[in-house]
Amino acid sequence: MNPLCKPWEHALSRRQLLGAAAGVAGSLGLSNLLHPVAAADMQKKAKQVLFIWIDGGMSQLESWDPKPNTLFGGPFRAIPTSVPGIHVSELVPRSAKIMQHLAIVRSLCTQDNSHSAGVARIQRGDPKNRGVTYPYFGSAVAKLLGAGTSGLPPYVWIKPGSSGFIHQDAGFLGPKFGAVAFGDGKPPENLVLHDSVTPADDDERNVLRAAANARYAKNRRKQVGEATSYVYDVARTLMKRQDLFDTTKFDPKDVERYGTHEFGRHMLQARKMLEAGVTFVKVNSYGWDTHGDNFNGHLSLMPKFDQAFAAMVQDLADRSMLDNVLVIAMSEFGRTPRINGHIGRDHWPEAWSLVMTGCGIKRGLAVGETNAEGTWVKNQEFDIGHMFHTWFTALGIDPAQTQYDNGGQPLPIAHDGCHAVKELLS
Amino acid sequence: MPDAKDIAKLYEPKTSTIITAEPQVSLARFSPCGKLLVGGGYDARVRRWNVAAEGMPELPALEGHHGWVEGLAFRAEGELLFTADSWGQICCWSGYTEDKPAVKWKLDQAHDGWVRTLAVNPDGKSVASCASDRCIRIWSAEDGAKQFEFPQSEFGNLCLKYAPDGTLLTGDDRGIVRHWKADGTLIRQFDASSLYVLSRLQDVGGVFALALDKEAKTLAVGGTKPVNGGTVVGVPTILLFDLATGEQKQKYDLGTQNDCYVADLQFHDDDFLSAVTYGTPGSGQLIYLKAEEKAPLLTYKQMQNCHSLSWHPDGKRLAVAATNGGSNGNGRPVDKEGKYKGNNSPIHVFTFST
Repeated sequence: MNPLCKPWEHALSRRQLLGAAAGVAGSLGLSNLLHPVAAADMQKKAKQVLFIWIDGGMSQLESWDPKPNTLFGGPFRAIPTSVPGIHVSELVPRSAKIMQHLAIVRSLCTQDNSHSAGVARIQRGDPKNRGVTYPYFGSAVAKLLGAGTSGLPPYVWIKPGSSGFIHQDAGFLGPKFGAVAFGDGKPPENLVLHDSVTPADDDERNVLRAAANARYAKNRRKQVGEATSYVYDVARTLMKRQDLFDTTKFDPKDVERYGTHEFGRHMLQARKMLEAGVTFVKVNSYGWDTHGDNFNGHLSLMPKFDQAFAAMVQDLADRSMLDNVLVIAMSEFGRTPRINGHIGRDHWPEAWSLVMTGCGIKRGLAVGETNAEGTWVKNQEFDIGHMFHTWFTALGIDPAQTQYDNGGQPLPIAHDGCHAVKELLS
Repeated sequence: MPDAKDIAKLYEPKTSTIITAEPQVSLARFSPCGKLLVGGGYDARVRRWNVAAEGMPELPALEGHHGWVEGLAFRAEGELLFTADSWGQICCWSGYTEDKPAVKWKLDQAHDGWVRTLAVNPDGKSVASCASDRCIRIWSAEDGAKQFEFPQSEFGNLCLKYAPDGTLLTGDDRGIVRHWKADGTLIRQFDASSLYVLSRLQDVGGVFALALDKEAKTLAVGGTKPVNGGTVVGVPTILLFDLATGEQKQKYDLGTQNDCYVADLQFHDDDFLSAVTYGTPGSGQLIYLKAEEKAPLLTYKQMQNCHSLSWHPDGKRLAVAATNGGSNGNGRPVDKEGKYKGNNSPIHVFTFST
């Protein structure tokens, strides 16, 4: 038997999705994809991911790897954290207090210093070029972990701006594994059934729709029909979960703790999505490309990030969700040590940082080190491929034994020249 | 007093001597005695150059600060120099023209955070400071004792300036200028909120510079009319207010969105306002304005990313702290030896033959 999965073996039919609430994780065919032990474990405890994307490039020097009072250190101080010996920037005081939950990586050295290529390259894990478009991490996790039992889409993206179905994220996995984007955290338009449509009418309409779909799909590629159907099924599920979008019903204390700003609201909504069982939630914050006025910029931006991030991690810890949810906060690169004439920092993939916590991750540590001026990585450099290996392993997916099947072409799920960072794994 | 037409000619920046400060300085100011140019910047040192001597040699730097030094103020009597840093420390040095000025007093934690500006009361008895901790404090110039603290403001203050009568003007990061009596009574607010915008999560802009004319009738407020955060862009803007009434008299848009911030302002005794701007690396302007004129008298663009200006007490010399060319760039810019280089500040010292 071919141990590799075939995309069509994981077809997520409408019936399966709608029946998911009754608990049909097995019907997703996960055991065909993964190492059996891992798959069994995963079914016991659904793993989830919160991926916080700080778009434009958070400065490592103003966050996780401060170099106070050095040539490029900038104006800010470093402060101690709850873990003796680990210091972070004074701009993240709340995160400093929960450092016991966090793992910082300070030795990222990646390959791209432009946004246009960097964003995709990082989120696809920058695998070796095999002539195919790899999926973003969210699509990969949606594929490898499945939708879980919530009936909700496995990959949602809460972001400022517009909504939509971002099929491009899925790469060769096919559009079904794209992201369902909720612009400004709002639900898709026209989600509520019109008053004139009774549930019985709706059921009847759906029977008709199913028949029409089947006819449409008959002479077309299977993936196309599935994706169309899938999006509709997702929308039907979301119709029943409007509580996830009604921010007026969020606990005012939570709103205050996460921050009344856009990012705080989106992070709180992300927590609701995780609690509801969404497998992969991505939250974007835009506006971090501080080529100009970097220090005033970070003085304003970082406390808002810090507030929502620390509240989220604390809440996940309090709810015992950190054992199941992998949390990652990162950008496409860091920012230059040298300070330009606009008092900004430019793009710097050479030596930068990210922070993570949650399932499978060792907590309360900083891995990797940069030199005294923060210009280069001092010991071993880690590329994004190392992070993908680490994250998949933390999620119970063995990158050495799991491959994608792209129409018969076996493909590694992470860069085959990289490996998991053992120090980061619990 | 020269008229508007003459000012551009008389003070046309032609010949300059350049002092190179490495790494960058945020500001450079002439001392009231005119003998020194003092700079504070990114390496926690207070730099001094003897501008009275041939070649303007550098004197030993003053050390003991942390982070960035952005607060600089003088008192002529007793040759006192007040300096402040981004870690909240304020220091008073006496005999600032000497090789080794003495530390007269020092407050390690005058503020909890980035001290943006210092100003000496015209009576010489006190020094005001504002910082990112949203506090404005008044210190005794003699011993550093705290004399007064204004009510903590909702937002951070970026700059302050004393009026000749000892009242205090403060500018915050939302574009509001406040005029205070020494006892903390608010006299008036000036609305410069066009210098601020909330861009997604980021509060952008605010009041970057304040200046008062010789008669203390006109208040000049500088900053940018920001378009967005991240890589901040916006048109450099100066607003002129009547200090007594609060009425906005004039608004100047001084360039393109890439020119961005008015960083510093100073009225010259010949009754014109001088300003410098910085924005996208490579851009930089020195501008002269006269209140009754709608267009600048002079716009000089031969310096890059200008962060401060200072007129010598004789009114015939001008120091502009700018930035070297090619200061920006993504990735790994290294020199021939493979060394990662920082940037520097060419300080242009112009001499005028008025």
